[in-house]
Amino acid sequence: MTTSVNNNSGGDQPQGSGNAQLARRRFLQKLGLMGAVAASYTLLEVQAKTAASSDKRWGLFIDTSKCSSGCDACVRGCNEEHGIDAGKDEHTRAQWIRKIDLTDNLTGAESSVPVMCQHCDSAPCVDVCPTGASFKRADGVVLVNKHTCIGCRYCMMACPYKARSFIHENLTDQKPSAPRGKGTVESCTLCVHRIDSDQNQQPACAVSCTDEAHSAIVFGDLNDPDSDISKKLKTVGGSQIRADLSLNTGVRYHGL
Amino acid sequence: MISGAGYFQPLKSAGNYLLWMALLALLVLAGGYCAYTMEHEGHHITGMNNSIVWGLPHVFAISLILAASGALNGATLSSVFGNKTYSPYARLSVVLSICLLIGGLIVLVLDLGRPDRLAVALTTYNFKSIFSWNIFLYTGFIAVGVLYLATMLEKSLQRFTQTMGVVALIWRIVLTTGTGSIFGFLVGRSALDSAILAPLFIALSLVMGSAVLALVMTWAGRWQSQTVSARTQHSFVRLLLWCVLAVLYFSIVHHLTNLYVAEHQSDEHNVLKGAFAVLFWFSHLALLGIVAALAFALKQGEGYLSTMKWHAVCAVSLIACTMILYAVIIGSQSTPQLLFPDKTITASTFGDGGIGPYLPSVWEWGLGIGGTALSLLLFGVVLRVLPITSTTQS
Amino acid sequence: MSLRLNLALLILPAALLLVMPGYADDNGPVIPPATYGDQCVADTDIMRKEHMSLLNHQRDETVIEGIRGEPFSLVSCVNCHAQNDNGGQPIRIDAKGQFCESCHTYAAVKIDCFTCHAALPEENAVIGSLQNNLPVASTYSNKQLLVMQSHKVAHKASHDYQRK
Repeated sequence: MTTSVNNNSGGDQPQGSGNAQLARRRFLQKLGLMGAVAASYTLLEVQAKTAASSDKRWGLFIDTSKCSSGCDACVRGCNEEHGIDAGKDEHTRAQWIRKIDLTDNLTGAESSVPVMCQHCDSAPCVDVCPTGASFKRADGVVLVNKHTCIGCRYCMMACPYKARSFIHENLTDQKPSAPRGKGTVESCTLCVHRIDSDQNQQPACAVSCTDEAHSAIVFGDLNDPDSDISKKLKTVGGSQIRADLSLNTGVRYHGL
Repeated sequence: MISGAGYFQPLKSAGNYLLWMALLALLVLAGGYCAYTMEHEGHHITGMNNSIVWGLPHVFAISLILAASGALNGATLSSVFGNKTYSPYARLSVVLSICLLIGGLIVLVLDLGRPDRLAVALTTYNFKSIFSWNIFLYTGFIAVGVLYLATMLEKSLQRFTQTMGVVALIWRIVLTTGTGSIFGFLVGRSALDSAILAPLFIALSLVMGSAVLALVMTWAGRWQSQTVSARTQHSFVRLLLWCVLAVLYFSIVHHLTNLYVAEHQSDEHNVLKGAFAVLFWFSHLALLGIVAALAFALKQGEGYLSTMKWHAVCAVSLIACTMILYAVIIGSQSTPQLLFPDKTITASTFGDGGIGPYLPSVWEWGLGIGGTALSLLLFGVVLRVLPITSTTQS
Repeated sequence: MSLRLNLALLILPAALLLVMPGYADDNGPVIPPATYGDQCVADTDIMRKEHMSLLNHQRDETVIEGIRGEPFSLVSCVNCHAQNDNGGQPIRIDAKGQFCESCHTYAAVKIDCFTCHAALPEENAVIGSLQNNLPVASTYSNKQLLVMQSHKVAHKASHDYQRK
């Protein structure tokens, strides 16, 4: 059990903060070459304003003592948010988040947990992706860039959490904020489209859980010691699934 | 190395050559249709799913790639180790190797979710991924093979044959290590997370490559109205025997160490007693049988086996090795991933804790067989255009 | 070599002949007008030529860096340019005769966006995104061109960078 959450160490990750700075600097250099000072000001403001920053590390805290076995509000909330059809075959449809019921082998204690992408700091899916489509954002969110994903599924082989889904068939009526399509791999995005636009927003699963009056899922910035999630982790503690792999996950469970 | 190998010439259209080529072309077309259907409809028409993400096409592809690496045995023994017995078959060995690799790669590419983005895979790399490295190893292997062949075909270049032979040998060992490492680096799947998969894959490649080469040698020889000499067969029998022993050794060590580690109990249960037990035991007993048969042949008849028995030995070796690969690739995925070691999963909407379901569809069979046929079709065509086959026995 | 040259000489005119009919009586594609707003995020000339590089640059910024709500996003395109049918229901922007389809069919360029992206506008989002994203000044074409060019450079730079 551990509550320490390191930020991404950068270096080997393509989207570290240093890299973002570097890209920005290069970008400005090129602009300078063009002598387009006016334009560079416009774009600089735009870039500096809203890019994901490594000052933050988004994560989830899941209190299993508050999670109830019969409830799948988080799953339904996620499916609704991303236009996932839950009516299809469970092995070929997308499963961004799923509920698992557990019984302790020694004590017989029962628990129920939602499992989704754990947003690892050292994500195996990012390491194995041949094209770099599987990547980690500066703020720790692990995503698939579906524009460069070739659908090889090596990330799914590598994921210890069975958290990724391959789209097996043609999709229609996608949501504007959740582009999804046949032949690429996808997984929980921590609802980046929500948290990017407004930092007070919560991922759909957390909202649904709160609406159900369980409040078992807390979303927040693991780097900020004053955030709700950091305080929770500090006071009640939280462990990682497969902590033995030393992946430093962004999703932590209390009561596992 | 060419000395003593006699004359080489392109294959004359004899016997049932055209019939074979037509049959292979049909299989290739059928494979193309299967691939098109898979891409058009999406992978839901295959047996693959989000639990078993790599299926039969990958077994075919990896088998072809391993066989490609191993098929170079003939050329290596001839030009690197100076074994003249194989000199007449050195060119054949290189061509076969290149063709098998192309077939394997085509299957791999056509199984992608977005094969239209092949250009992305060839231009955007993540060098932390062993897959990226393999893209270079595979394309580089084809280039090395073509150069190697050129040093054999062109008289003025023949002084480089040995050097290229060494380069090709090193390249294929690295390539097979890379292929084994695709599976050996997966921390999330306990059945695969082992460095011994790389040497196991090398051993498998030696058996599969030798077996294919031996089968193809008689196939091509028949059209030249030739038979493989007793001396060549004797050498081949010893080669195959050692390679099969290597496979058994690495496989047994792999499973014995896994049996010792509590974490791997459920993986081993699945492979040795569960859904993949038939595959495991059949393949290993078959290989044991082959060891016995070959050892007996060497002791009694100096390695002599009737053509039919020899072909049977090669075919069974190939099938057994493919079964081992099937158990490694698909068996490892069907074993549930252990998320909660101290707990029993009582309910899940995604089959957690259960054996992953997989039944290959006709489309996957079609794609795999089509890729294999493409390898052989290419091979047959090259045999007709280039002076590959030898007119004298050794 | 000479055979190849001959082949090329044969094929080129043949190819020209094949495409010639496309130019007969050419009045260009019939592109429906935008449903909302009277000014696009850049001049029409620029948008016609450069929309893909603008979109691609915006795409990389959004996916990789999480920069959202910027003018050159595909969602914004759809929001303004998707038309409504007689019943007031929005029509897919890639449907026959619609904004994207009409021009792409004319230019014989396949659209690869809408197998994954929504081809229908966001619900109740049009007005808000318009106000946020539209350029304010009216004398834009020069500056816009600069912005656009720098986008292209930036796009290339970010690609070069990713490749490294």
